[in-house]
This record gives sequence, C-alpha cells and structure tokens, in this order.
Amino acid sequence: MTFDQIRREAEIRWRAFSQPGRLQVRIGAATCGRAAGALEAKEAFVQELAARSIDGDVELVEVGCLGLCYAEPLVEIRGRDGRRVLYQKVTPELAGRLVRSHLVDNQALWDLALAVMSGAERKGVPLFGHLPTIGPQVRIVLRNCGLIDPGNMDHYIARGGYSGLERALLTKPEQVIDEVTASGLRGRGGAGFPTGAKWRFARRAGGDEKFVICNADEGDPGAFMDRSVLEGDPHAVLEGLVIAGYAIGAATGYVYVRAEYPLAIERIEGAIAQMQGGGLLGRDILGSGFDFEIRIMRGAGAFVCGEETALMASVEGRRGMPRSRPPFPAQRGLFDKPTNINNVETLACVSAIAARGAEWFAQYGTEKSKGTKTFALAGKIKRTGLIEVPMGITLGTIVFDIGGGIPDDKKFKAVQTGGPSGGCIPAQHLNLPVDYEHLAEVGSIMGSGGMVVLDEDSCMVDVARYFLSFTESESCGKCVPCRMGTQHLLRMLTDITEGRGQPFHLEQMKKICQTMKDGSLCGLGQTAPNPVLSTLRYFTHEYQSHIHARSCAASVCSKMFAAPCQHACPVGMDIPSYIALVRAGRLDDAYKILKQTNPFPSICGRVCDQICRARCRRAQLDEPLAIRHLKRFITDHGSHPGFEQIPVTRRQKMAVVGAGPAGLTAAVELKRRGYATTVFEQQSAAGGMLRWGIPAYRLPRRVLEAEIDEVLATGVEMRLNTRIGRDVSFEDLERDFDHIFLATGAQMSAPMEIPGEDAEGVHGAIEFLNAVNLNKPLPVGKHVAIIGGGNSAIDAARSALRLGAERVTVYYRRQRQDMPALPAEIAAASAEGIGMEFLVAPKRVMVKGGKVSGLELMRMEPRDFDSSARRRSEPVAGSEFTAEADTVISAVGQRLEVDFLSKESGVTVKRNRIEVNEQLSTGNAKVWAGGDAVTGPATAIEAIRAGRDAARAIDEAVRTANGEGPWQAPATERIDIPAEVDEDIISRPMTRVPELDAAARRGDFSEVELTYTLAEAVAEACRCLRCDFYSDWHGTDRDEDMQPASGQHG
Amino acid sequence: MSKSDIRERGAGMIVEATGGNIQSVLHKHGRDRAALIPILQEVQESDGYLTIEAIRRVAEHLSLSANDVYGVATFYSYFRFNPVGRHRIKLCQGTACHVRGSGRLLERVKRRLGIEPEQTTEDRAYSLECVMCLGCCALAPTVVIDGKTHANMTAKKIEMLLDGMTE
Repeated sequence: MTFDQIRREAEIRWRAFSQPGRLQVRIGAATCGRAAGALEAKEAFVQELAARSIDGDVELVEVGCLGLCYAEPLVEIRGRDGRRVLYQKVTPELAGRLVRSHLVDNQALWDLALAVMSGAERKGVPLFGHLPTIGPQVRIVLRNCGLIDPGNMDHYIARGGYSGLERALLTKPEQVIDEVTASGLRGRGGAGFPTGAKWRFARRAGGDEKFVICNADEGDPGAFMDRSVLEGDPHAVLEGLVIAGYAIGAATGYVYVRAEYPLAIERIEGAIAQMQGGGLLGRDILGSGFDFEIRIMRGAGAFVCGEETALMASVEGRRGMPRSRPPFPAQRGLFDKPTNINNVETLACVSAIAARGAEWFAQYGTEKSKGTKTFALAGKIKRTGLIEVPMGITLGTIVFDIGGGIPDDKKFKAVQTGGPSGGCIPAQHLNLPVDYEHLAEVGSIMGSGGMVVLDEDSCMVDVARYFLSFTESESCGKCVPCRMGTQHLLRMLTDITEGRGQPFHLEQMKKICQTMKDGSLCGLGQTAPNPVLSTLRYFTHEYQSHIHARSCAASVCSKMFAAPCQHACPVGMDIPSYIALVRAGRLDDAYKILKQTNPFPSICGRVCDQICRARCRRAQLDEPLAIRHLKRFITDHGSHPGFEQIPVTRRQKMAVVGAGPAGLTAAVELKRRGYATTVFEQQSAAGGMLRWGIPAYRLPRRVLEAEIDEVLATGVEMRLNTRIGRDVSFEDLERDFDHIFLATGAQMSAPMEIPGEDAEGVHGAIEFLNAVNLNKPLPVGKHVAIIGGGNSAIDAARSALRLGAERVTVYYRRQRQDMPALPAEIAAASAEGIGMEFLVAPKRVMVKGGKVSGLELMRMEPRDFDSSARRRSEPVAGSEFTAEADTVISAVGQRLEVDFLSKESGVTVKRNRIEVNEQLSTGNAKVWAGGDAVTGPATAIEAIRAGRDAARAIDEAVRTANGEGPWQAPATERIDIPAEVDEDIISRPMTRVPELDAAARRGDFSEVELTYTLAEAVAEACRCLRCDFYSDWHGTDRDEDMQPASGQHG
Repeated sequence: MSKSDIRERGAGMIVEATGGNIQSVLHKHGRDRAALIPILQEVQESDGYLTIEAIRRVAEHLSLSANDVYGVATFYSYFRFNPVGRHRIKLCQGTACHVRGSGRLLERVKRRLGIEPEQTTEDRAYSLECVMCLGCCALAPTVVIDGKTHANMTAKKIEMLLDGMTE
C-alpha cells in the first residue's frame, strides 16, 4: 500500500471513530488516570455494558491524558444525540450510573460533567476550549493527547500524522534543517539550544555512521510531560525522530526511556511495530530510499543519564558518567560516531513543524523563544495538570488563571521551575513572561517544564535542602566540585533546617555554589546550586530566622520545634499542653498555662487570627483543630488565676504611650520585672483597637474589661484622657521617665481622596467604630456603603447593620478571593445579609445640601499582579454607575497619629511607620516602639508579642548599662501535662462552633460566637494529634520567663 | 551515591547460582558491551535481584571483568542485590509529592513495617523503596504497591492498603 492509500483508509476509520452515531466511551487511562482509578472505572463500564447486553453497541476506548489531572479519572461519553460530554472523577459506581443514564436513557448527568467536547454547550458545563484551564493553551506537542487512541496509528495519520515526514522526504536534508532553524525551535529538554543549529553540526560531521537519540529519561522530579506525550501520542515523537535522522543522515535512532515509565515503553513498542507495518520505518521509507530503524533502551534509574554524554555512556553499557566537551556529541558521540540528541518534546514539535511549516510555529511565542512549552503544573495549586502555553505567557496567568490559584485560602509563596536545576520565583515576579531569557534573569531556568507551586506552608530552606538531597544522591561522583559541593551544601542545609545553622554558613554556601558552577563537568553539577542561590536571593530572611532564631515560619523543619502550632504562635503559647488539659477536664490548670505566655487569652480566644490553626497537622487528615475556640472555652469556664500587686523593686521609671494590646503587654511585663510603669492613653478607656476597633459582637466589653483590670491590678498606673502632645509633651515624658515605649497604633482612617468626601454622612471606619464603642454611635442611614475589604470594613459593615441600616453593601476594588478580611468574618457578614460587590471603586460621593445623596462608582478590571500575589485593579473607562447610599464608610487604610514626634525627638517615621531596628529601638536611645505603629495594621497577638519583646529589650538595656546580669523570673508552678495519645485515629471534622442565629443578630451587639459545651470541647480536644508528644526535638519552645501576669498564686 | 550506600547494597549479597534463567537471557543478546545493561535488567526481572554468580556469568559472556560489571550494576539504582519482598512498596519522594507531605507518609510506613528504605522485612513479606518521581505529580503524593500506582495518598489510605494486603 502507498502512503496515500494508508492515509485514506486511516481517515475513513477515524471518521467512523469520531462521527456521531456510534455510542462511545473514551476513558483517560494514562498513568495519572490509572493512579486515580481509571482501570477500575473501565472495568465497571465493561461489566455494566455486558449486564445490559449493549456491549456490542458501545465502543470502549482508552485514550491518553488531556492534562486535567486534577479531575481524573476522566471519561468522555458520546450518547445517541452525538454530543460528547466529558465527565470528571468517575468512580466505578458513577460508571454504572453513566451507562444507565447517558447511554441507555440518553440523559447526560450534567452535575457530574466538566465540559462538552463537541456539540451544544449547556449552562454550567462549558465547551472544553472555554474551560479556564484550557482557554489560554495552545496545544501543539499535546495536539492529540486525550483525543485519540494512542495505540491506533490510523488516528494519528488521519489527524495529519506523518504528513511532515512525507514532506520532509521529498526535500533535501539541508532544507529540513533550514525549516527547523527558521521555526526558532529551541531544545525543550532544558538548555534551550537552537535545534536547527544542533542538527546542522551533526549534518556537517563526516562519517559513515551517525545516530539520533530521543532523550526520554525525564528524571526531574515534578516533570511528567514527556511521559504523557509518549503515553498519549507516541507517533508524534517517533515521527520527529525519523525526520531528525533523515536531516542529519543517521540510519539508527534510539529512544532512551527511563524504566519507571512502563506504559510509555509499551506504547513506543507498539508504535514502532505499527510504523514497520506501514512502511514508515525500516528500509526505503515511503519509497524515498531512506533507511531508518529505531531501538529502545531502558534507563536504569540514574538521573544523571539525562545528561547527553552520560546517556550515551549508558547506551554503551558503561557507568553513566559524563565526559568533558569538546568533542561534542555532534562530532563524536555514541560509539564515537556523530550523534544528535533531542528531547521528547522537541521531537514532538519537529513533527508538527514539518507538517505545518516554520512560519506557523513561529507565530507563537516571543522573539527569542518561539512556539509553545508544556508545563507540569503541580504542588499547591487547585488545578494540577499538564498544560501547553505559548512562550511569553505570564507566570501569574499560569498559576492563577489556568491553575486556579492556591487551595484552602492559603497564601502564594513561590513557583519552582526547572526541577532540581532551577530556582524559586516569588510573588514580585508574577508578571514575568515565561521564556528562556526571562526565567534566567530572575535566577531560574525553563528546564524540562516542571512547575511546582509553593504556598505559606512551604519552607524555602527545606525546599533547597530537598533538591540538594536529590542532586547529592544522583551526583555520579566523577568530578570534585559536584561530588564534594553537593555533599557540603546538603550538610549545611541539613544543619540549618535542624537548628544547627551558623551565620557563616550562608557565605560559605555561596562560595561553594560558585565553585560548582565554574568547575563541574556537566549540567548536573553546574545547576545543582540553583535552588540554593535562588532561595538565598529571595528568601534570605527565612535562612536568617532558621539560623538566628531557630524559627521556621512554615513550621516545616520539625527538628527545630515540638509542635507546629506552638512554633507558629508569635508568643509561643503551649497549645498542645492546654488542649491536653481540656481533654482531661482540668480547666483551671489549662488557664494557668494560657497565662504563662499571654496576658490576654480571653480576648485572643475571641479575636485571634489563629496562625497556629493554619499550621495544624490535623488538616492533613480532616480539619485543623478549633484552637481559638478551645482557648475561649478555657477562659469562659476555668477559674481565673488570682492576681495581685507586684512590688516596685527597680528605680527606673517606665512610660508606655497607648493602652492597646502592645502597650498593656509591655506595661505588665515591665511591672513584673519590678519597674514602676505608667500608661498614657488618649481615649477615655483602655484597650486600643480591641476596644475602639473591634465591635462588641466579636469581643464583649466585659471580657475586655476583665483582662484589662487584671493588668491594672498588678499596679500599672493608667492615665486616661491624656494625649501626648496635647496634655503632656513628649519632652516632658523624656524628662520624667527613664524609658518610653510607643504603642500608639494606627488609628486614623486613611482618606479615600475622592470629591465629596467631606459631606455629612461620610465617615472613616475607625472613627465610626470608635463612636459605636463609645456608645455614642454616629447616625446611620438606610443605605450604607462600605468601601474596603479588610477586617475594619467588615466590622463597620456588621456594626452598621446592627445600628438599623436597611441595606449594607461592601464595595471592594479587587476580587473576592483577594479580600484581606478573615474568611470567617466575610462569611458571617454574608450570612447576616450584607451585600458585597467586587471590582468596583468609588469615584465620587454625590452630595446634596451638604449630605450624602448617593455614590458614583467605577467598575475595575484585574490587571498585573503586585507583590502580594493579587491582581491590581484598573478602572474601566466609561464604566461609571451610581449606587444608592446615604452613608459612606471608608475602610481603605489606616494612618498613624504621631504628630507629637518632632524631628528633634530622634524617632523617625517613614512611610506611615515608626522606624525601629530588630530590637524595637528607635533613633532615640530612650525610646522603643512596637505594634501597629511599627508594622501597620496587624493582629492582636503580634502586638502582644511586640509589647513582650520591647519590655525584654528595655529591661536588658537597663541591666546592661548597670552591669547587672539578666532578670531571673520567679519560678513557675509546675503543671503536669497528661500524656494521653490515641493509638487509633478516626477521621472527624472540626466540632462546629455554635453561633447566634443569623436572624437574631441584626438587632443588637450580643456576641455572635457562643461557647462549646464541656462535651464538645473535650471532643474537639481529643482530635489533637499531640505532635509535641511524637516530636524528637529536645529543646523547649516555651518561654521560661513568661509568667502569669499575676505573679505567684496559691 | 555514597560509599556506604554501595557497601550496604552489596552487603549480604547472595552467592548462590540462579539456574537456567541467566542462560536464556544471555542467549538473546550478542557479546557487545552495549548489551550489558539490558542483560542485567532482564536477569533482574526474572530472578528479582542480581547475585554474584549472575554477575560473573554475565561478565564471562561479554568478556568483561566481574569487577567492571559490578561497577556498572551498582551505579544504577534500578539494580537490587538482595531479594525483594513479596510485596514491593515504592514511595515517591519527588518534588510535588514532597510538597504534599510524602516525607510524613514515609515515616508512617517505616514505623509500621519496621524497616528503612531499600530494606525488606524479616519475613520477606514487604520491601520498601523510595523513588524519585513516578511522574504522577498532579496526583501527589503517589505510591506504587506491587506495580500498581495509587494517587492522592494519605497516611490513612496507606494503612488501609497495607491492612488489606494478604501476606
């Protein structure tokens, strides 16, 4: 048969396969699909079809990977109406239902469908090409994957397969090389060397025998593109290999495929047999006179054999060790003959280019990086899978639009590209166009296409250590820079992640990295330093905190701490201990544990943002512990440890400005250390944002007052209604006190800076909440507009509702997922009926008679990413619209009020923040500062920590100046912590926290969250996995000198 | 690969002869050095691991020293020098799996079986291996048990799989 005849018959068979009419089930059964259960689903289809005796009428086919791995197993069904529907996560049970409903009754199960492959769309089920994952993609390498039966060469040929080879064989080899060169194709294995140029070198080399090799040793952990192509469309690669052979003049081609890919090997073997049968391989291919044969060589588990000279050594039966170049493989390669090696993806591009031309390929991509690139998108991303995009697409588009962003409301941290040879790219580069040059500029590489997304739960030092453990193990050992370099880097990284890091390690690692880059024999050693260098470049602070504070922000480096929750807590609360005490019913003891590290556990039990919970390991099983609720439960039901006056034993006098959580904590900590301490507060009552910002329905006043009273009972002097700069000058403070701690917060609303802002009825959120908490609320109209998306915006919204507003709407300039407010708060607001509009921003307040008469807004559209990994918004021209409003509350930012600080004070304010060093001291030797005034609006627990740290720093400064030793804290009562741990762990969701009914909340400011019953609290406490118990860490996370605020107790 | 790894892997190598399997493998291949790795792969596939005797016979067939063949075999992590268990458990420690907690899975399995990676339990029921990337990164963490790939693994799922396995 001639090729024309073969093609005609292939087209007939393909039409029969793809034409509507015949019932069909296509099952994605590549390795990913199988791992997700595709074969079990297939078996269920087989059985159900047989049971209904329709197995003869329904064609059942295994196809390759569509790249939507997150939705596997994927099954496509063509029913009687000819429409092809793609179903996701198909279990064997679902298979049965699909047969009955879609095939027999011709009723698609739309709830379970992901997309329509062909035919009419339906509401909620878009066309495949319109899926957010698929839309931006251009599938050249993956052109057939998931759409054809990879074991059927007819499908390949009918869709244009081997037309490239046909065209190529009708031209001269040099012309083929010209075409590939003109396309701009660069090696897709990682190095990006121009393919045409590489072919030309091999063409020009003399000799009677030449080789071409397909490198299918895809060894990068995190990369599976090559596997998918070989399993889903092997002919695309093999056709490319034959074309390469023809172009350079080789008669033998090798496919070197790693042994860990048995299905790929099976597909290649099958494809080769089919090619031989069709005259596409062997002697006189397609009557051109060109002879070519393909041999398969299986790898044997050595990553280094992905390097071309090591690969060739392996084919020759030797240890896979690279050799120096020159001579390059094009001159002397396999068995000393001229050899050309190309990656799987490169060859899949070649077959497409040969068929459709260089110009067609070069229309995609950027100037220096033409065409498309596949990426294996994995890690902390919602839609993991295999994608193919034009070069030049931005990193942010890949992660957030195609990949769907980070799951579980976690924060983006970095994208790791290029496997163990690559680097980590942080949020500031999310607008980076993805191509060879730009990735190199930011310290990474394209590599083979592995792209692993990391979030706040990833430790960058651990990531570097992980990659080094890989390269150290895979280093062949031949050259000293790599062999010794990887060993030393790994040792130092291990030391750093296990709490033995030293400051000199960082410089030493940089030197070793440079040596490895300069002196290593092959790419493995030359690029192994990249993960270290890139994490050092962008995440030095993580290295520093591991080394200097033995602290891992992601709570990953478990040798440095006992429990991740305690380690993550800014004040190191002993969470496992107090939870264990709840479990044992010993609430009084639990309360004592709380007070050891936190003077405000009752308050925190209501308002803390719980970073501890974000690190709770129970999340890997079901849901993290309700830590804050357990803390609240203890303070509601345990008896308060008694409090008493602490005597003044030191002569220095301390002043604290601001009675918020930072100020009050500093005051009580200074008092404990024996100092006479005075707190100056401009408001009529203490509490700072806890009182004036947070509404009573979140934090009841009696709870707040009780804990403030405990602070005062220690003897801290409080001077209310005293504003520095007005009632007392800063100079007076400096004269009358030895040391000053500024904790003035950030309690002034930032202006919106739009016309009409001065009208009656416009308020800043802080001032609005202030007034509510003073019990002298500002008047609230019927239609309240809240501008902003943070916690203050939500607090203001929920308060306005309770003050009688008919309708409250929050207007936020970015998207819903970008709102900084706590997710629980946003949910509560929605439950209370508060409306939310996104991608809108106010243009002007409409004013009539001096009062707010409406709000003019503009629609916004998301554009580039900023360094918070969120898209900035830009107004859409001509999109103005008006909204009903008679009250406008702005919550767009908070400013400091530190007008009392003159230049002479030595205390500098830069960009709305008081400047301090790491010990929290300012430019004035007597003055320290902390809390929101230093960080900008942050959380209560961070303010508490700042107060604690400042008190320590001040005390240390005093003692050092006097030549005294450090403060000795009085001994704490030893509380025995129960060691009860469950052998069998049963999965159970978090015990739900009772809440006030949404309907009942509108009327007043009663607390919305209610407390657990004892049974509920114990049940929740039993879910704690006691990570501290199983930890092999021997230090103590607990602050030895952090005492109960009350001092000794009976 | 560190020296101690090689020593450990070679230590306790079983010496006994393997019978006719090797012969049939050798018959299929020529006497070129290039056939070495495919021969070793096929011998391992039929016998489960490489013995000293097997190495010697392959060396003889290809006119190489036994040392040379041993040097090549120990370079590649695919080759085993001890019998494997009836059930082979391979835990992927690739990047995506690592980021999704494969390290903790490994600890769990190690504790349950009482062995380290590259070891086999006393009763020869289970052997444990760590592999670097099975290529199912989108469904991390992944485990291969007796040749079958399992995805989205958790400690609980692994325990259930091990519970369900007959010795």
